[in-house]
Amino acid sequence: MKLAPLSSLIRPHGQPHELQPAMQAPSVSPHAVAATFDFHTVTWQADGFGFDATSGEFFTASPTALVVMQSLSEGMTRQQILDRLTSRFEVSHSTAERDLESFLAEIAHLGLTPEAN
Amino acid sequence: MNASPVVAVTGLHRGENPQPGSAVIRSLRRVYPELRIIGLVYDSLESGLFSEEDAPDAAFTMSYPGAGVEAFWQRLDAIREIERFDVLIPCLDAEMGPLVEAPEKLRERGIHACLPTAASFKCRDKSKLAELCERTHCRTPQTVAVSDVNSLHQAAASLGGNVFVKGRFYEARHALTPAAREAAYWHMLEQWGAPVLVQENVQGEEYNVIGLGDGRGHMLGSCSIRKMLRTASGKGFGGMVVRDPQLDAVAQSLIAELRWNGPFELEFVKSEGPKGEYCLIEINPRFPAWCDFPSTLDCNLPAAVLELALGWQPREPLRHASPGKFFIRHAIDMTGDIRDLAALTTNGQFFRQPREIIPHPASSRSL
Repeated sequence: MKLAPLSSLIRPHGQPHELQPAMQAPSVSPHAVAATFDFHTVTWQADGFGFDATSGEFFTASPTALVVMQSLSEGMTRQQILDRLTSRFEVSHSTAERDLESFLAEIAHLGLTPEAN
Repeated sequence: MNASPVVAVTGLHRGENPQPGSAVIRSLRRVYPELRIIGLVYDSLESGLFSEEDAPDAAFTMSYPGAGVEAFWQRLDAIREIERFDVLIPCLDAEMGPLVEAPEKLRERGIHACLPTAASFKCRDKSKLAELCERTHCRTPQTVAVSDVNSLHQAAASLGGNVFVKGRFYEARHALTPAAREAAYWHMLEQWGAPVLVQENVQGEEYNVIGLGDGRGHMLGSCSIRKMLRTASGKGFGGMVVRDPQLDAVAQSLIAELRWNGPFELEFVKSEGPKGEYCLIEINPRFPAWCDFPSTLDCNLPAAVLELALGWQPREPLRHASPGKFFIRHAIDMTGDIRDLAALTTNGQFFRQPREIIPHPASSRSL
């Protein structure tokens, strides 16, 4: 089983915000994500590029991170997100759970979730 | 007044610390390509004089601000004997004081300008920002005006030691040690005079708002950006348009409180963290060097200033640019001619000649 980094959110000015590398080799295709979707203040494209019109910041995210953020934008619970991750990626439930918690903490820290505000 | 107005613009040097004049000219010509524009310069090597696209039609050297206010007006009168300009768009902070304090001198000469009142101009002074921000419930870094070295160190200590030392009109240096503070203090004093400002260092992203106030508390147009690239001295070399209701509201409340008339730039730092607030760093009483960027996006503020100064009806409403548009500054080399330099240096004036156009060989070929 291989897991790619759940996400690699990168902010402007080359200041990378690396998240816990755990999931590898996402087997998800970009087409699994909507063409664009809004998550909190950021509009994400299927290619993993996100732009925040209120702050002017932009980010890149891995396909797995996109799946999580799109799931959150659809109002899914954590359990539903875990189910989606384990069904789409070759990852154990415990690893996915650990990485999801880490990722949620990271996006909250970056101010990318409604809860952060 | 001339049948077709003649406009004078200052601040044409786009060097390491770019001035706004050339961007103002470029924006004016986007709307009024035939407009006659003269440059008022303080140095014969101001780079905008030699630009192909945004050079003035003629240029005149001005007396240095250090020569005093009387010399300023005398030189302006002498220039108008040769080129009777109708509108003045000042683009340098140091020129603003004499102009806003004596608007009648402009009026009696028949010069139109779009300037703030002396009262609102003083209220946005760096040393008065705290009072303005208190009235508008806007955050601003603690700032202390100092005029001697002892006060400098006391002020820095009271602000935690990690401070910016700023000139009265321009420049800021980050100073962490007493030696760095002193060096910055003497530099600012020599360049810009007293007082020197000592300002608390607020960490965060920088945001700027350019706009045009109508003098009654409203903004006729504005554009907000996040600085994407900065020079070593902190000057923005790239900016991304943003649209944040919180930033718009802060800007609107400041302009309403000041009843600002004319162009302005508000400089903010948004403190770090998800709940970061906009912290006002300073208010520039004129256009910034990036003022032509919004003009490419249906927000031509320099053209609106010209129309406002002349009492013309605005051509169309100014739009806020769409978030996601950005500018990157691109420094290129200009070609000058020694004849222009000689004319400016010896006579204090030069009139731009049509450029020699060398046809491309391909253009003479028959198809």
